[in-house]
Amino acid sequence: MNHYKIHEVLKYMPKEIKGMIEKMQPLLLESMEEVRLRQNKPIILYGGGREYIIDKNGQLVFDPRNAYACTLEDIKNAVSLITNFSLYSFEDDIRNGFVTIEGGHRVGICGKAVLENGRIRTFRDISFINYRVARQVLGAADKVLNHIIKIDNSIYNTLIISPPQCGKTTILRDIVRQISGGIPSMGFKGKKVGLIDERNEIAACSMGLPKNDVGIRTDVLDGCPKAEGILIMIRSMSPEVIATDEIGRNDDAGAVLDAINAGVKIITTIHGSDIEDFLRKPALEKLHKNLFERYIIMSRRQGVGTLEAVLDINYKVLKNGLTKERNL
Amino acid sequence: MILKVIGGIMILSACGVLGIAAANKYSLRPKDIRRFRASIQMLETEIIYGCTPLPHAFNNISAKVEGPLKNFYSMISDELNGGCSYNLDTTWSKGVNKLVGETFLKSADKDLIAGFGKVLGSSDREDQKKHFELFYIQLKQHEEAAEEERHKNEKMYKTLGFLSGLVIFILLV
Repeated sequence: MNHYKIHEVLKYMPKEIKGMIEKMQPLLLESMEEVRLRQNKPIILYGGGREYIIDKNGQLVFDPRNAYACTLEDIKNAVSLITNFSLYSFEDDIRNGFVTIEGGHRVGICGKAVLENGRIRTFRDISFINYRVARQVLGAADKVLNHIIKIDNSIYNTLIISPPQCGKTTILRDIVRQISGGIPSMGFKGKKVGLIDERNEIAACSMGLPKNDVGIRTDVLDGCPKAEGILIMIRSMSPEVIATDEIGRNDDAGAVLDAINAGVKIITTIHGSDIEDFLRKPALEKLHKNLFERYIIMSRRQGVGTLEAVLDINYKVLKNGLTKERNL
Repeated sequence: MILKVIGGIMILSACGVLGIAAANKYSLRPKDIRRFRASIQMLETEIIYGCTPLPHAFNNISAKVEGPLKNFYSMISDELNGGCSYNLDTTWSKGVNKLVGETFLKSADKDLIAGFGKVLGSSDREDQKKHFELFYIQLKQHEEAAEEERHKNEKMYKTLGFLSGLVIFILLV
């Protein structure tokens, strides 16, 4: 499965670099999570919590001086490949700092920001690229589902709190898939899910069709800003559950509130490492008042997707993954 | 006598056809440039208003145009989509080389069109629009030059062909 995933990412790399990486041992290649290209600097890969530097023959090296250094040409070709030779059609993504490629993988980019009226218009001279391999893990949500599902065949409003790179999107995707598909073993019947996939990561739609399995009762609003998307969903698709990734702005909070007031259940995520991080975000103030009924807190302490704790509406610990009891 | 007349007509028509063929080189180039420019206008619409990625845009255009241009756009689109191209610039140049071979475009036109491949798709929309505008102006200049050349040469080659046929005929008789 993952073997297949890394090859989806390799398609978007310049020919020479693709060749080098493909020469790595297949087992090692499969475990890769990140590939980083920086102009005039070595190619560095990350996988399974370790760092790998390779030379032009795809051999691992320890001294960065022996490694292959990316040229300006490599970076240019990489940018051209990830934007499908059309930088202009990814203007908004580039402004956000990353492009999502087929398969739901994210490619982060950095360079010189060009400002207009104090806001970023675009990036020029892109010279840092980070390929992040996304993977769908079927069953990733198994350990939390019994906390999300209510007895009356309904679900709790749920917030997933996790730092970047801890499997937040993976668990959300699996929750969506199972809630939408129904869970016979728990006697749970599938719900209509409206998925607002602003960054095209959860469903990984290509030409309008989800490339990841997000269940049979899921409608996907692809590439739509969350705040607007939530309202459109409520108006047009009559969902029972709305799922979206990484809320953070003030208007996101407003839209989530609207959804909850409209009687729609919400499942969403934010960046943070514990419940205090959520309570500290002023933009989400509207959501602080006992709106979410379940909080799922994740980390990568024991590998990606470590479940730290599940809290209820009053921040009381329902399930403790690893840490000792924490009461607020 | 009859033989002489038939031979004469044959010489005249052969030379006439040669003259027309030589003249065609001049009369068809402006047409080819105009056709190419029209296809580039479609491309601009795809990019500026539709925001369509280039491989799709080329494919859409290839469905709307005919002849060598159709081959040109569909070849580039296929190469980009097929994953065997890692660089638009080289694919575009390859296509342009082939296009120039199949049409009456000159090598000066080839350089101009090939150069456009370096900027195509490599910046945001606003910037692309500027590149398109500049490209139109340059194409227009080429078209005007081609038109002028046609004016000078087309008639001359046609008459020359016919007259040389006449001269040969008179000399032989």
